Amino acid sequence: MKDGIAAPGAADPAPLKHDASAGVAPAAALDGVSFTYPGGARPALRRVSFELAAGEMVGVMGATGAGKSTLAKCLNRIVPEFEGGAFAGAVRIGGRRLDGARVCEVAARVGMVFQDFEAQLFSTNVAHEVAFAMEQIGMERAEMARRIRPALEAVGLGGFEHRDPTLLSGGEKQRLAIASVLALRPAVIVLDEPTTDLDPEGKAEIFALIGRLREQGISLVVIEHEAEVLRGADRLLLVREGEIIAEGAPHDLMTRLELLEECGVHPPDLNRVLAALGIAAHAASVDEAEALIRRALPRLGAPPHPLDTPTGPAAQAAAPCGAAAWSTDPAAGAQPLAEMRAVSFNYPGGPLVLDSIDLRIAPGEFVAIIGQNGSGKTTLAKHLVGLLRPATGAVMLNGRDRSAMRPAETAAEAGYVFQNPDHQIFAATVEDEVAFGPRNFNLAPGEIERRCAEALRAVGLENAGGRDPFLLGKGERQRLAVASVLALRPRLLILDEPATGLDYREQRRMMALVAELNRGGIAIVMITHTPWLVAEYASRVVLMRRGRKLYDGGVREFFARDELLASSSFRPPEATELARRFGTVALGPDELAAWLRARA
Amino acid sequence: MPIFLYIERATFIHRLHPTVKVFALFVMFWSVYWVDHPLALLPLAAVMAAAAQITGAWPNFYRLRWLFILVVFFTTLAWMVFYRQGPALINLPLIHLSRASLLFGLGRGLKLAELLATSVLFLSTTKVEEFTAGLARLGVPYRVGFAITLSFRLVPLFIDSALTVVQAQNLRGYDFNRGGPLERVRRYVPVVIPVFMGALRKANSMAMALEARGFGMSRQPTSFIDYPVEAGDLAATAALFALGAVYFIIYYTGYGAISPG
Repeated sequence: MKDGIAAPGAADPAPLKHDASAGVAPAAALDGVSFTYPGGARPALRRVSFELAAGEMVGVMGATGAGKSTLAKCLNRIVPEFEGGAFAGAVRIGGRRLDGARVCEVAARVGMVFQDFEAQLFSTNVAHEVAFAMEQIGMERAEMARRIRPALEAVGLGGFEHRDPTLLSGGEKQRLAIASVLALRPAVIVLDEPTTDLDPEGKAEIFALIGRLREQGISLVVIEHEAEVLRGADRLLLVREGEIIAEGAPHDLMTRLELLEECGVHPPDLNRVLAALGIAAHAASVDEAEALIRRALPRLGAPPHPLDTPTGPAAQAAAPCGAAAWSTDPAAGAQPLAEMRAVSFNYPGGPLVLDSIDLRIAPGEFVAIIGQNGSGKTTLAKHLVGLLRPATGAVMLNGRDRSAMRPAETAAEAGYVFQNPDHQIFAATVEDEVAFGPRNFNLAPGEIERRCAEALRAVGLENAGGRDPFLLGKGERQRLAVASVLALRPRLLILDEPATGLDYREQRRMMALVAELNRGGIAIVMITHTPWLVAEYASRVVLMRRGRKLYDGGVREFFARDELLASSSFRPPEATELARRFGTVALGPDELAAWLRARA
Repeated sequence: MPIFLYIERATFIHRLHPTVKVFALFVMFWSVYWVDHPLALLPLAAVMAAAAQITGAWPNFYRLRWLFILVVFFTTLAWMVFYRQGPALINLPLIHLSRASLLFGLGRGLKLAELLATSVLFLSTTKVEEFTAGLARLGVPYRVGFAITLSFRLVPLFIDSALTVVQAQNLRGYDFNRGGPLERVRRYVPVVIPVFMGALRKANSMAMALEARGFGMSRQPTSFIDYPVEAGDLAATAALFALGAVYFIIYYTGYGAISPG
């Protein structure tokens, strides 16, 4: 054990029933568990059985609604104790059955970290936050004081004791939530999609921490949509419609690409490249994938020198498959649809959030705005639609000063889809929700109807017009939000993290919709943290850092520039990273495989 | 921007025992309640100004300046108009302005400002954990005290969420300021529903996270922070008792009232 984190299970206050038949007990076990939510039409879990050995890390993958979170919640009795519903089967923690135990009684044995990091922090400073759970189980003050510092140091937050949790970054908040669980020294920690809302740096922080927890012998259950982040797990479970349909080591399960996609899981890019080249193997790293490819395709020759410039001959020759071209001034020459001229902005009394930003968006462009949390991405986008007014400088929409435009005129030029679709949905039916915008502009009923039908068709919800929007799935609600903006027929569509919270299948569907709109002539500005979305869909990248534009140019050029990637903490997708080993910059697994095949 | 009003300082007021701070909140409310005359309210305003200076709470007053200005201005104005006592200085069909109505309006405005200021001072110097501890020491069940203090954390989150919803609906061409007063209230339905639904989801997530961290395990959880009672707490309690008593006497003797003449 490191940093004073004691052996798992050190705190043992709950009166759980000992299962004498358990023998050498696993850290956790589900035995034939079935569960149906109150009012649920079908079971969320069906006869699920699995064991988590002491010190083991199990990854649980599956589509939204497959039953992953329900499975995890069984481990600490949130299911069925908190949720209600019909439960059958047995759950054991360290050989003890949890029958009848309350959720709070299990807290010291099974720690749970939720996806929504805002909802799990309750205190005004970091030390209090870590102490909270210990106070609840009645721990002595001296013991709490002994545990707080090691728990914070274990997650890399040593010295943060007096900081306000609300002012931490997303990654820090999530690490704090983990520290507060760690302080109880549970035998098992469950992390339910802990990196969904985090930027790449925040994600890397969490997975580095998960690695350290493994070294400390803590048993872990990690739920994720992205297979590649679970490579380090001992075992993976693939869940579909409440059942574990496949189980195995990462090297077994991660080569079953079609099955993963069918289950709404993003298959590892490296394995997709290998499969496309006919190499039946699993790559645990970019190094391993490179070695496998060089062995299978010896004509590729020795590794080239690293790309020193994207304009160099290797990169130029490498630009494969006619994918997104780049230039140093992408919107130059075209009449810009939107333009920011030397825009600076700060909130009252605060530092500059935007610092002299010049930006031109041409009709039909697809621009990805990237950067760490707090770099100014959303502030920039909000200026384009007039939600914020620049302190200095000007924003032009289609050649007109936006500050002189009426909201109706702005809405026809630029629409904004918020990250959380639930921030706008209120109507009783899907159709009414989409009609809300056009009605605000007093359009004729026939025109409103036409626009609704057109917008719903565009997002694939043409048969859902009469449904209650609150009963739609997250992916459908996200598409509904897009439709309700599309009904205003904007020429520029701004999407704030359009794929967050969606599983891989929903992400692909959402992005196919956005790409289709773009092909139809709508300019897209997409704020995102997700590298593969940038690589596979955008034609231009704007990189923000501390309110300044650090880079504005082609996607391929961006991914070829080491210094930019390093300074922005933005990791390219693994397929792109692998491509660079071969002296090219490919923007997706298929593109790289095609390029390699052509040279093999 | 921080969502809490608490300002981390080590002043005498910050260090007071949480129970004394809760008692101080009560005594200030009590004192404000008993008197109407602006002159009687002024000493309390001076006490609060001194407390704001000592605790460094002025930035919070600045953050909430529009709330103070609007509440005080409209309260003062409304009472000046509707308090119809005393000989009229100006007598119009709806407006009866007298010396008494002027004093009463000013008094009501000052009262509200002082109630608000007391709350701001309390939240500037008291962590929510201290508030919970203070309530518990006064006999309020832990769960009830925690629920009260949790609301202090939730309110700013809901306000933030409401502002986002307003922006989202504005961008779809929605005009919140169309029509008369009733129509304007009705036009907030597209904000209320998403905020309410979001609040329900958030409350559910929080409740789940609370239980998963052991909330409910003990009726009286332990406290990480030790709150010893010190001499300063006793002195402050005595001073607060005296203040409360003085204001009750002012009320009882009629000095705090406004005579219609």
